[in-house]
Amino acid sequence: MQTTQTATPVLEVAHLEKVYGALGNVTRALNDVSFTVNRGEFVGIMGASGSGKSTLLNCVSTIDSATSGTIRINGQDVTRMKQAKLSQFRREELGFIFQDSNLLDTLTARENIALPLTIARTNSAEISTRVQDVAARLSISQVLDKYPYQMSGGQQQRVAAARALVTDPTMIMADEPTGALDSKSARLLLESLEALNRRLRATVLMVTHDSFAASYTSRVLFIRDGKIFTELRRGDTDRREFFDRIMEVVAMMGGEGSDAL
Amino acid sequence: MLCKLAWGNVRRAGRDYLVYLLTLTLGVTVFYAFNTVSMQVDIAGIKEEGLSELMGSMLGYLTYFLAGVMAFLMVYANNFIMKRRKKEFGLYQVLGMRRGRVATIMALETVIVSVGAFVAGIVLGVGLSQLMTFFTASLFKTQIANFHFFFSVHAFNLTLACMLVMFVLTLLLNLRAVRRTKLIELMGAERRNESIKTRNPWIAIAIFVVGVVLVGVAYYRLLRDGFPLTATEGKLQEAMNQFGITTAMVTVGTFALFWGLSGMLIKLLQSLRSVYWRGLNMFTVRQLAAKVNTVCFSMGVIAMILFLAITSVTCGMSIANVMNENLERYNPVDVSQTYVYYTPETLDYYKEYVNPSEADRMVLADATVDLYAAWHGERKSADNNDEAGKKVNIADVAGEHVQIDSYLSYTLGGSDPSVTAGEMCKAMGEKLPKVLEGSNADDMGLFVTPASQYNKLRQMMGEEPVSIGRDQYVLTCDMGGELGDLYTKYMAGGHTLTLDGHELKPATDKSDEDTAAIANSAMGSNPGTVVVADELLSQLNLQPYSSNLLVNYKQGMDTTEADESIKYTLLDNLLVDGKEPGSWGVFITRSEMYTQAAQMNGMISYLAIYIGFVLVVACAAILSIQQLSNVADGSRSYRVLAQIGCDDRQIRHSVMAQQAVFFLFPLAVGLAHSFVALKVIIELVSTFGNMSIGGTVGLTCAIFLAAYGGYFLVTYLMSAGMVQAAIATRYSE
Repeated sequence: MQTTQTATPVLEVAHLEKVYGALGNVTRALNDVSFTVNRGEFVGIMGASGSGKSTLLNCVSTIDSATSGTIRINGQDVTRMKQAKLSQFRREELGFIFQDSNLLDTLTARENIALPLTIARTNSAEISTRVQDVAARLSISQVLDKYPYQMSGGQQQRVAAARALVTDPTMIMADEPTGALDSKSARLLLESLEALNRRLRATVLMVTHDSFAASYTSRVLFIRDGKIFTELRRGDTDRREFFDRIMEVVAMMGGEGSDAL
Repeated sequence: MLCKLAWGNVRRAGRDYLVYLLTLTLGVTVFYAFNTVSMQVDIAGIKEEGLSELMGSMLGYLTYFLAGVMAFLMVYANNFIMKRRKKEFGLYQVLGMRRGRVATIMALETVIVSVGAFVAGIVLGVGLSQLMTFFTASLFKTQIANFHFFFSVHAFNLTLACMLVMFVLTLLLNLRAVRRTKLIELMGAERRNESIKTRNPWIAIAIFVVGVVLVGVAYYRLLRDGFPLTATEGKLQEAMNQFGITTAMVTVGTFALFWGLSGMLIKLLQSLRSVYWRGLNMFTVRQLAAKVNTVCFSMGVIAMILFLAITSVTCGMSIANVMNENLERYNPVDVSQTYVYYTPETLDYYKEYVNPSEADRMVLADATVDLYAAWHGERKSADNNDEAGKKVNIADVAGEHVQIDSYLSYTLGGSDPSVTAGEMCKAMGEKLPKVLEGSNADDMGLFVTPASQYNKLRQMMGEEPVSIGRDQYVLTCDMGGELGDLYTKYMAGGHTLTLDGHELKPATDKSDEDTAAIANSAMGSNPGTVVVADELLSQLNLQPYSSNLLVNYKQGMDTTEADESIKYTLLDNLLVDGKEPGSWGVFITRSEMYTQAAQMNGMISYLAIYIGFVLVVACAAILSIQQLSNVADGSRSYRVLAQIGCDDRQIRHSVMAQQAVFFLFPLAVGLAHSFVALKVIIELVSTFGNMSIGGTVGLTCAIFLAAYGGYFLVTYLMSAGMVQAAIATRYSE
């Protein structure tokens, strides 16, 4: 069982708060959020629009700054980091997958995947082998020399995943990665992520509002009104059953008068 | 309400509008300032009559040209804004606003920006015109005696009218854009078509190479053939055709070069693996390639315009410089008067075509006349002074004076010159100077002048006389440049001349161009003269060609007054034994030449700066707009880069590199073209004088580069700001 593995926390979030706006007109997007993610976990974060899930991901991924609280990734407190250090940190520790694949239009798939490596000034021979490797793992070797507009949505998303993985990041951040995909492509991508997590012990943090996507994870955090509402662990149950349990929570959250999901 | 909305929009879209505002403001500033030139001329204290009107009207025509360029720019800048604002205008319509009101908002926005630009432009223009007054004064070599602040209502009105026309034009275009476009297109305007044009890199490289070859061959042809200005009539058509081919080659080559540039860049950098796969180099190159493909045409146009601007400015100002620098040499005395003798050809011509009875009075001169004694006459009545009819005599004003007689190098009644530049070149085994090429250099002989006259002129100018023996000669020429060099070389080489059977050796080894003028002139009066001993000359019985009286006014005499007193004189016919051996030629005062040259110089400089500045600014503005719109289109890419851990500095460097290529490549190509063209032009002009590129030209080029570089800098800073804003945007939005 995954929860029983020798738990080294990769991500520790403690009393995280994020407040927007000035005096008198304050929006509390995150209100005392605390949780940990262990190495090798595949964690989903679910919540309705405006629940604060994207804010949470932004804070964790160092793109946005927290108002108070701490975020530790691999033991380093990212809320205290300077701007210059943050870029380096993002480059070395994190991998990103976005809703729209966010590939650069002018670069081929190979170049898109290689980008994080070239930014880090890896030597060109190593870049070549690592790109080939990760492309093979995500079965996109045949599209490496195509431009994004020549690929299907699913292929684009897998190229984006390859770009996130190529640096061997401590943690992969996925923000609604299946949001723009048809169901078949979505399934393929989720299976790839699951496989990466299982086989390569990659730690994945995925934000989604799709119960089906969430059912591929090993643990789901539900967020509502800026607070962690509840948490579901998959345990030994199969994906189908986990999906049903997720649906129950979603229904409950919706039933209490919050936004429908 | 609508006003409030429009005002809010302008403030919010400030960054987009800033480019528009800057371009418009600059346009208004230049427009106003240059239209006040005639006023500046007055204030600068340039008294020459007619100059301010002439300048005013010349620049007036250019104003239309400027208005055209500015209108093009406005439309370009306006399109840029409209592309950015489409979605917003779509949104208003979705929210239920009628098209008429949307159009009104847009019109109000345009009004706000235009009024802002107009006010700012006029304020800057008024400031600039005050400064330009000093510049004008220095160009025309005068001092400002009485400077005061001025405002030109005429220039203001003209600028206002132009602005109104441009305003209406942009407004109509915008309204059409709103009316024509479908809502769905307006709303989706932000979503770009993500497919990029890719070109087969090998074809691109081939085209690039073809471009380089074409340009190279064109350079070679131009250097070899020169400009078709010096060709003789028979060959002129062919030379023009050849020149046309060269022009076509360089034009096509330039465009091909830019067309293939992106493919070339990619292949080149990809082959340097460690460079390509490093930092953002790959991104920079790809980004460039994608953009170069869509803007290669405008880059070509800009390169050609920069070429024209640089060449015309440098060339125009250099020619003006040459004229100014040599002015002293060309005008050795206060006043000169030429008398030209009839030749057998003139007599024949008169007999045959004009009036045989008139020809009866004319006679072929067998000796030169004394101009000092003959220079008298009546004051012209055409001039509006009350002294018409008054007797004028040169002796009233003349101090030191000398008469220089020029003979043709053949005896009376002959027709073949015995000394020609062509023969000299042949004797030395040299190529003919460029300016003589293709002309009938062999038919044009050198003049012959007695040594006593030459030496008297030298003495007048404070130089030591040159002793010239009976079997010696000295060559003189005041045109300098290649022609002067030819003569000096000939003498230094100890070459002999044969004048009507007499072999002569050089008396010195240098042709002294500073004492070589034989009359006052704008561009030189002596293309080549052989100075020989008086005894020899009297023996030779050569055909007189012209006589020039060179006069300095009496000591202590006021030059202006002296000029005035003899300027409007109708000289009495010069008769020898009741017959006319020739006719009076030009009368030139030194001060007149100086004024003319200063005017010409000022004029050329003004035109060159005016045209050049406008062209350069227009090019820079187009590039700037293109780049800003590129950055705006690419903001998503920059965000992605930031997210995957690229620091700001790297991103800014990439933006800088991209823009540097866009700004510098057309400039580099334009400069290369200019360099070659100028080399040929300098060669051509150097026949008349040593053309130097420096001084004002350097300053002007520095100003242009500052304007171009300034645009580059502003563009970069604005882009960096846009990138920063894009990166800072939370991606959840």
